[in-house]
Amino acid sequence: MTVTRSVADPIHVKDVFRSFGDVVAIDGVTMTVPQGALLGLIGPSGSGKTTLVRMLTGTLLPTSGEIRVLGEDPRAFQRATRERIGYVPQDFVLYPDLTASENVAFVASLFGIGWWQRRKRVRQVLELLGLWDVRDRLARDLSGGMRRRLEVACGLVHEPDVLFIDEPTAGVDPMLSREIWDEFRRLSETRTLLVTTQSVEEAELCDHVAVLHRGRVIALDTPEALRLGIWGGEVVEITTERPIDGEALRAVPGITRIRQPGPRKIILVADDAGAATPLLIEAVRVQNSGVASIDPYQPSFSEVFAAIVERAEKERERVEGERAPAGRAA
Amino acid sequence: MSSLAKILTRVTAVTLKELRELARRPAAIASLMLGPLIVVALFGLGYSGTHRPFDAVIVVPADAGYPADIETYRQLGTGAIHVVRITPDAEDAHRLLRSGEARLLIALPNDLRARLEHGEQASLVVEWNEMDPVQAGIAQATAVGLVQEVNRQLLKTALTSLGIETVSVGSPGVKIPAEVVASPLKLEARNTAPASPTFVAFFAPAILALVLQHLAITLTALSMIRERTSGAMDLYRVSPVQGLELLVGKYLAYGVLTLVIAGFLVALLTVPLNIPLVGDRLALSRLVLLLTFASLGLGLLISLVADSERQAVQLAMLVLLASMFFSGFILPIDEFREPVRYVAYALPVTYGVALFQDLMLRGGGGVPVWYEVALLAIGVVLFVLTATRLRATMRATA
Repeated sequence: MTVTRSVADPIHVKDVFRSFGDVVAIDGVTMTVPQGALLGLIGPSGSGKTTLVRMLTGTLLPTSGEIRVLGEDPRAFQRATRERIGYVPQDFVLYPDLTASENVAFVASLFGIGWWQRRKRVRQVLELLGLWDVRDRLARDLSGGMRRRLEVACGLVHEPDVLFIDEPTAGVDPMLSREIWDEFRRLSETRTLLVTTQSVEEAELCDHVAVLHRGRVIALDTPEALRLGIWGGEVVEITTERPIDGEALRAVPGITRIRQPGPRKIILVADDAGAATPLLIEAVRVQNSGVASIDPYQPSFSEVFAAIVERAEKERERVEGERAPAGRAA
Repeated sequence: MSSLAKILTRVTAVTLKELRELARRPAAIASLMLGPLIVVALFGLGYSGTHRPFDAVIVVPADAGYPADIETYRQLGTGAIHVVRITPDAEDAHRLLRSGEARLLIALPNDLRARLEHGEQASLVVEWNEMDPVQAGIAQATAVGLVQEVNRQLLKTALTSLGIETVSVGSPGVKIPAEVVASPLKLEARNTAPASPTFVAFFAPAILALVLQHLAITLTALSMIRERTSGAMDLYRVSPVQGLELLVGKYLAYGVLTLVIAGFLVALLTVPLNIPLVGDRLALSRLVLLLTFASLGLGLLISLVADSERQAVQLAMLVLLASMFFSGFILPIDEFREPVRYVAYALPVTYGVALFQDLMLRGGGGVPVWYEVALLAIGVVLFVLTATRLRATMRATA
């Protein structure tokens, strides 16, 4: 993920703030999404995801800061630029009294696609999203998952270069969620996607992940880099033959963090796991035990996300703590 | 694809989408069409066109020498009153008036002979207890007619009792009957209008205008509010569609629908109900088009200022209510005071009622030309207001 802007970058956000009265929804977000990336914007409800997407699509003005999508300010998109942007809102906004194909055709028409090409595109996107068999069914009669796919179909029908999708898997079962994300991965081969989600596990399916918390991007990297970077080293899981005191292993050189989820299980972060392994085995032996197994630990993204948020909260408390005495002194 | 072709594609898409959505709700359309028709049918069946006689109580003083039997007084009022009680007790008569058992109280003078002998007028007291200004006016007119009739009867009776069958007036030798002395003028009434429509025929064009305005307002008021509350407006904001394209699409969809319904209603009025259509159909189409254009604008404006479907319906009903009272549908506009008349002239249906009645019953030409111009002007102003408001709505939220 890059913060340095390139001319080809379709999404560029710099120092963007947005407040609603006294409530700050977006607090100084800066990020750049390169061409052909699948960026997952992850954060809990109320973290500012939809606000950011609405500003990127030009439906909401930022209080301050600079936004460029396809090189233009969203508040003054040219018509030709709008034709290159797709948007799938969070709520179902299509027409329940139109059939699946009529809904897609209507959206295609809004983007100026003529009748002949429209027929082909409607069929293509409905087949792509597995909705061709229900093309004549009224939208109100479709299942929740089908409706979400129908909305994605509407977002894709005009073949946009940049597609904004707001919480596509909210209320969708895990199997369908996976299929939708597979589709996003296929789409990102030829276009840029920004997808918001509350599901941290879906972060692993993105090329890049931006973690949004209290209106701020507190982490922005590839999923793997985030996993490795969050604890500042390699994570190792040790299972001992007999219960030991895990804190005693903190004396081993290169060990930065220790967590003991059970009497025989210790998870620790090492600067260099290879170098630390013999020393750890020796430290366990000193406690009259033995090492049953020692393996690299793959933390779930939920753990990574929690750690990122925890770190951000500590940092915020530290900054506020520093400000408070300064304020009192002033 | 050229820009013009793209614009046409978008406008057509909006039009077709609206028509499809409407077609999927046939029950809503049926109720919109049949509801007003049922009202018209009830109006036609329930309204006789004649005023019901006032139930009257007559106070007859005991010692004044008047007849005391009710049959004598049944002839009074030539059908405008219906005598329900004869009483010598004035307080009893007032009780009947207060309770509503009688609507007119007529008190005969107890000093008639004495006053006449002194060459003075005696008083015939007529009282009524009506809040409704129309009914009060009718009671007033009935009282005036009653006094005239009683005077005539008294004069005729007095002259006859004196043995005077004729009176010499003017040229010598010309004998004038006592009845002519009592009523020297004879009323000869004539209606110069080209037709004498029944009440149903008279009100049918006005109801047509009212129905078309209400239909156009209700359909459009709900249409745009749905787009806004469902979040579809965000989709429009992101897409290249412009407010004007959206607006024209909606005007076309609801305009076509309203015109179809207007054709159906006109056919229904003129064929099975025999409502006359003296003017030509082309002129009627022009008037329907003008009224529809203005009414759609009013409905779309409501949909852009209302914040929920409920509020839009309420506003539409408010316009309907105002139209019923102020458009000349029930009471002539001239009977309203000056500021209220402006409300009437702001409503498209005011012009619709006058123009439709004039064209259908007289054949046209009886209404000032500026009525059509005013209707068009209201339509244009509402279109501009709606387009401006929609453009602001489609802009990014600050």
